[in-house]
Amino acid sequence: MSDTSILTITDLRAKVADEDLEILTGVNLEIRPGEVHTIMGPNGSGKSTLAKVLAGHPEYEVTSGDVVFKGQPLLDLEPNERALAGMFLAFQYPTEIPGVSIANFLRTALQARLEDGEEVDLFDFQDELLDRMKLLDMDPSFAERPVNDGFSGGEKKRNEILQMAVLRPSLALMDETDSGLDIDALQIVANGVNTLREENPEMAILLITHYQRMLNYIQPDAVHVMVGGRIVLSGGPEVAIALEEQGYADWKEQEGDEEGKKEEGKEEKEQEEALTA
Amino acid sequence: MSNSPQAAEAPIAEEETPSSLDESAVERISEGAPSWLSERRRHAWSVFEDTPFPSTRSEEWRYTDVSRVVNLADLRLVTDGGLAENGSRPAGLVAAMEEDLAASGHAVLVDGSVVHVDLDPALEEQGVILTSLRSAVHEHGDLLEELLATEVVPPEDGKLQALNAALWTDGVLLYVPRNVKLDLPVRVTRWVSHAGSAVFARTLIVAEPESQLSYVEELLSDDFDQRTFVSSAVEVIARDGAQIQFVSIQQLGRDVFCQSAQRTLAHRDAKLDTLNVSLGASVTRLDLNSRLLGPGAHSELLGLYFGDEDQHFDHNTSQDHVAPDTGSDLLYKGALDDRAQSAFRGMIRVHRDAQRTDAYQTNRNLLLSDECRANSLPNLEIQADDVRCSHGATVGQLDSEALFYLLSRGLSQDQAERLIVLGFLGDVLARLPLGGVVEKVTRAIERKLEHV
Ligand SMILES: Nc1ncnc2c1ncn2[C@@H]1O[C@H](COP(=O)(O)OP(=O)(O)O)[C@@H](O)[C@H]1O
Ligand SMILES: [Mg+2]
Repeated sequence: MSDTSILTITDLRAKVADEDLEILTGVNLEIRPGEVHTIMGPNGSGKSTLAKVLAGHPEYEVTSGDVVFKGQPLLDLEPNERALAGMFLAFQYPTEIPGVSIANFLRTALQARLEDGEEVDLFDFQDELLDRMKLLDMDPSFAERPVNDGFSGGEKKRNEILQMAVLRPSLALMDETDSGLDIDALQIVANGVNTLREENPEMAILLITHYQRMLNYIQPDAVHVMVGGRIVLSGGPEVAIALEEQGYADWKEQEGDEEGKKEEGKEEKEQEEALTA
Repeated sequence: MSNSPQAAEAPIAEEETPSSLDESAVERISEGAPSWLSERRRHAWSVFEDTPFPSTRSEEWRYTDVSRVVNLADLRLVTDGGLAENGSRPAGLVAAMEEDLAASGHAVLVDGSVVHVDLDPALEEQGVILTSLRSAVHEHGDLLEELLATEVVPPEDGKLQALNAALWTDGVLLYVPRNVKLDLPVRVTRWVSHAGSAVFARTLIVAEPESQLSYVEELLSDDFDQRTFVSSAVEVIARDGAQIQFVSIQQLGRDVFCQSAQRTLAHRDAKLDTLNVSLGASVTRLDLNSRLLGPGAHSELLGLYFGDEDQHFDHNTSQDHVAPDTGSDLLYKGALDDRAQSAFRGMIRVHRDAQRTDAYQTNRNLLLSDECRANSLPNLEIQADDVRCSHGATVGQLDSEALFYLLSRGLSQDQAERLIVLGFLGDVLARLPLGGVVEKVTRAIERKLEHV
């Protein structure tokens, strides 16, 4: 383990908490401050599970392995402690919180980062929120809408990045933030993310994506391919380009243990073809 | 008794007139009253005696066994307000009153008796009446004789309604003449100070044609260690084209049985909305009947409850569409924690002539623990054919995905639950945005959540 690593994952295995179903089958990964790592891989390969396990979702149980985040054992921390330590998960499927406005929610999230007795300054907060919404080309009225309630797919994704921009994490896990965004929205979101990186060059990103197109805007330092719950190939940006051309078929066959996974892999490829067609 | 020390020092009529709840009490209360009133009380008492105690075998009382909730023989009737007008007041009462400065007028009741009334002189000049029922008996006798405990909430409505009609000690009369509009709410604070007492109060609100008023009452007490009975009868009349908003926020202490019988009459083109917030007491029973009597009348029935520990809520509502072209919309939402229980029974009745009725009813419950329980019984009785009606009920757990989403942003478990609960209940308040009510109720819920 390197001293400068922000996240070190060693042989991480995890299963669904109340089932005998192992999903992560030994993940190894190291990310340094300021780096962008991409994880690609077919549907069902465990990408979202990895992100949720890192964020501490109670649906999953870690059965073995280690995760060190900023020099601290991560797995002992509660989900909110992980967030306070600087981790942020942009969800693939953000949850609706009826009746809770984005502004109120984010103010409470900032309040949670203060010492007892300190209060978020309302005027500073308003300014900051408006500023961040402008960065992401969002209408100010957005702040008063209930979190994700009735949002389009694209609005939900943008809202994730808005939260990231306000909360300023040191490690952002972005789970398919690009899917559901049209090309204009994708550019706005990517520009937003890049601005955050400029503001804080130490911020690291784990970018989960299906498509090369996001990588045109956010250049990765490393690309990993996840299949069957572990990383089967790591390399530079060229891996993403090769994958886009060839799909995951080769990897599926090597993995080739379970019928079900093969099926999914095929579907995945069909989906992608349909999308690129 | 858990009164604050001030209350104990105050010149209380302690032990002066307490008595059991029997026929002699009716006679004593009737002393010096006009004969119509004594007769009305005696009649109510005979209805009380002839009416059996509500049984859990009856549909309307399935979830609340009154005979176990309160034993009338154990209660002392308090007929004289505990605190004199300038006697020192309990801290909880003072705190509530201090928040309510912006108002058309105020009334303060202690143990069922009015101890203070004030009304904007400009409104008084326009003929607005805000006074105690006790004085109104003499000053506005005709009005009371016509309306009090007769056509709106008569003793025949039930055992407890009859008891209240026989034994009420005081209450509030608010009368707004034709075309007069109150910009600010009338604010009423009702404080109960005696553990083991029975308090019977009434409210009569009359809005003459094209007038407008809002009324916000708060029921408060400390926690008790002895069953205490707080009974209310609320009669609200909106004449043609009048607009009324009635809000009741109940934050009584533990060991109180809070029972309230309310009926609202909305005449032609009237708009008559109610909001009942139940946060306190050990057992709460609300009977609310909203009657749409004239074409164009519309009522919103809003309700919000949040229970913890062993609190029990029983809301029994009905929307009676008597006239055609009327509308009603009910939304009752509650959150329950610990071993709290709630029952909601809602009835939409569309009478034969009430064509083109729009009537909606929704009850939603959020369960925060494994031991709490919510029962919801929506009902429709429709005799007209051209109507739009719907009813729905849900009982759901705290959404674990929503909780995780908030935790993943750094919120503590408590902060996350607070946001989810307030978000869930908040849309009820948003539908009746009266000055200060949203903030007051939100703060009360937050206080309760902190104790959780
Ligand atoms: N809570 C769960 N219960 C059962 N199966 C699950 C659960 N979570 C994930 N899985 C399964 O684990 C596999 C990986 O899922 P996921 O991490 O969402 O994949 P990806 O994000 O790569 O598409 C899938 O086969 C999925 O069905
Ligand atoms: Mg996924």
